Amino acid sequence: MTTTRRNVFKFMGGSAAGALLTPAPWRIVTDSALWSENWPGIPRPARGEIRTRFTNCSLCAAGCPVRARCVGAQPVSLAGVGAGLCPAGVAGHHFPYHPSRLKEGPVKEAAAAAAAAISRLGPNELVAVLDLRPGRTVSWTYRRALSMLRNGVYLAPPQPPVAVDLARVKTVLSLGVPLLESWGTPASVLAARARFRLIQAEPVQSRTAILADTWIPTEPGRELALASSMLAGLREDGPALILDPAMSPAVLELNHELGAPVFLRPEAPIPAAWRKAAPVADLSAIPDRSVRVLLIDEAGGYFAWPAIEKKLVRDNPLVIAFAWSREGYGRHVKYALPTAVYPETMDDLPGAIDSVTAAFRLSVPLLAPPPGVVDPAAFLAHLVGFDPGDPLRERANAIHQLGRGAIQSKPVKEMTADAFWSSLTAAAPWLDAADRAPRLPNAPTTPPLEPSLQPAGLPLTVVLTPAPRSSPLLSKIYAESNLRLAPRQAALHPSSAAGLADRSRAMLQTLDASVEIQLVLDPAIPPGMVQVGWSPAILDACATSARAKVVPL
Amino acid sequence: MTVPGKSFFFAGALVALSAGWIAFPRALYRSQPQPVNFNHKIHADKAGAKCEDCHAFRDDGTYAGLPALDKCSGCHSAAMGTTAEEKNFIERYVTPGREPQWLSYARQPENVYFSHITHVKLASIGCEKCHGAEGASASLRPFQQDRISGYSRDVMAEMKMDDCVSCHRRQGLEHSCLDCHK
Repeated sequence: MTTTRRNVFKFMGGSAAGALLTPAPWRIVTDSALWSENWPGIPRPARGEIRTRFTNCSLCAAGCPVRARCVGAQPVSLAGVGAGLCPAGVAGHHFPYHPSRLKEGPVKEAAAAAAAAISRLGPNELVAVLDLRPGRTVSWTYRRALSMLRNGVYLAPPQPPVAVDLARVKTVLSLGVPLLESWGTPASVLAARARFRLIQAEPVQSRTAILADTWIPTEPGRELALASSMLAGLREDGPALILDPAMSPAVLELNHELGAPVFLRPEAPIPAAWRKAAPVADLSAIPDRSVRVLLIDEAGGYFAWPAIEKKLVRDNPLVIAFAWSREGYGRHVKYALPTAVYPETMDDLPGAIDSVTAAFRLSVPLLAPPPGVVDPAAFLAHLVGFDPGDPLRERANAIHQLGRGAIQSKPVKEMTADAFWSSLTAAAPWLDAADRAPRLPNAPTTPPLEPSLQPAGLPLTVVLTPAPRSSPLLSKIYAESNLRLAPRQAALHPSSAAGLADRSRAMLQTLDASVEIQLVLDPAIPPGMVQVGWSPAILDACATSARAKVVPL
Repeated sequence: MTVPGKSFFFAGALVALSAGWIAFPRALYRSQPQPVNFNHKIHADKAGAKCEDCHAFRDDGTYAGLPALDKCSGCHSAAMGTTAEEKNFIERYVTPGREPQWLSYARQPENVYFSHITHVKLASIGCEKCHGAEGASASLRPFQQDRISGYSRDVMAEMKMDDCVSCHRRQGLEHSCLDCHK
């Protein structure tokens, strides 16, 4: 028998024809497709018992009640209770998995460095805590711990000293407040919206301005003069309320003239022993170059770094930031230590600006934090040799002892301390008696503001967009869409662009810093202004500088 | 001797047919024994157990699937019979409190949502309709896993999407994709 090349080909042809009559090739095609459904990177849904758990969202001051659908211990979807959640709140359970999440840091090294720096403190040097979310129980722990140090100072960014009642007004004049975007308690604001007329005064037409009854374009810095000129009309359309982002003394004075429903900001009661704590100081009130050791709790946002930096001593200051993300002060400080993030944290939530009744509600953790995270209050307490105990429970007991208010319509007087605490840890809110909010006393008369000098060579007025509260998913959507200005984007009128092309790279220069940006040419921006997307780097450059220029790279 | 050219063609076809029908299915599946040779029949006959006694629904209606060790330990904290399987089970799993790693014949892929309670309670479909006569078996078959797709052989044989769709069509139930692929 001879085997020729032709016979080999015939054998191979027969094999191919025969193979087509077997399941093998077809099965390989099917199985390969199925395999591709399971290759690495495909998300695996959690399996387990379906449970419902409750908490309060701590992403902003609104503190919306949240119902979490959990599979086993894993929250898989969040929804509001009684009202909706904002887009960030709906995706709140994504934060622990943010690509920028800090999970480990040199904790022991930072603690040793802080202890050494405190032991070598000069007579005029300070140990300070900058709490970017003041008013919490943990803020009181910081203050109590700092009161044990000779040069301890508790710093907090300026907070509006008042609360306002939108439900009692017929007209609202908003001086650049993002009332319908990220202000107060969104569900309450939207519920009250149908009952008041909204006049939005700001330079650039924001989303709130689009939804307002009237938008009045203003020049930056002229808002207060506008409000004063409208006072008579507002009185006729009253009760009326004037809002500005900081609720400055001048605006409080105008509100006082209008008889607006503005109240002192209520706070939940505290144990009597805590009143010896260190007072709250404003960063601008302490001397420049005086802070040797600074601990920053980044829980609630970002404060422009140049304002902090000038308070630090010149020679080798020690700054430790407690942050869940590496996008904040991690760029500036010596140590960035990881902390828990919502919904891993057990924390209480101070009331929002539109809450006129004192409240005490807990953000109950739905997830365990990673093993490497640090509790900033425990870190500080260990540093100064202070035992904080269980401050949340102590404060709950203090509220219970007063016997005021109710929790889920049940009067506190009728509850035991344990039952009260159990209700709080099931995320039920304690609300003070409704008539306890004290009306604001007469506002002090403030001198008119001096017009600030305009630095030469910076032709553009900076308009900052409100800080976004974005989950990882929303950050991606914002960055890849035109829904809002992404971080490090700046919008200009084409006539102010000086020949720069749309979507080109450029430098935004202010007196404080230069930041690389992507330029967006937008005819809706008034000439002579630049609107910038929020990011820590942008805030560092623009928070204290209202003027800027854009130059090509 | 001369061999006709067609013989080479048919020899090739025969080799391919043998490989495709006999060798390929054997090579495709990886066979693994179950951790315990569980006897469904003896539990049903002697203990009078029903499927739902061990493969239970939770209070919220979700299906708990394979029973956990606690369920077995309730009766088998000590030996009830004299079989080697039971002795082995108690020594290896019950006494040290170690969960047996059962290999599920019927686990659907992650992109499928299947509600047991809808089919068992609402439609009154018996377990054996999909799972066969597993409840009457005296021993557990080896678990056979497709080496390429990773799926169980049972799923590929009788629990494919086509099987679901054809049964629903027979019942006059037409649903959207999102009912199962949520």
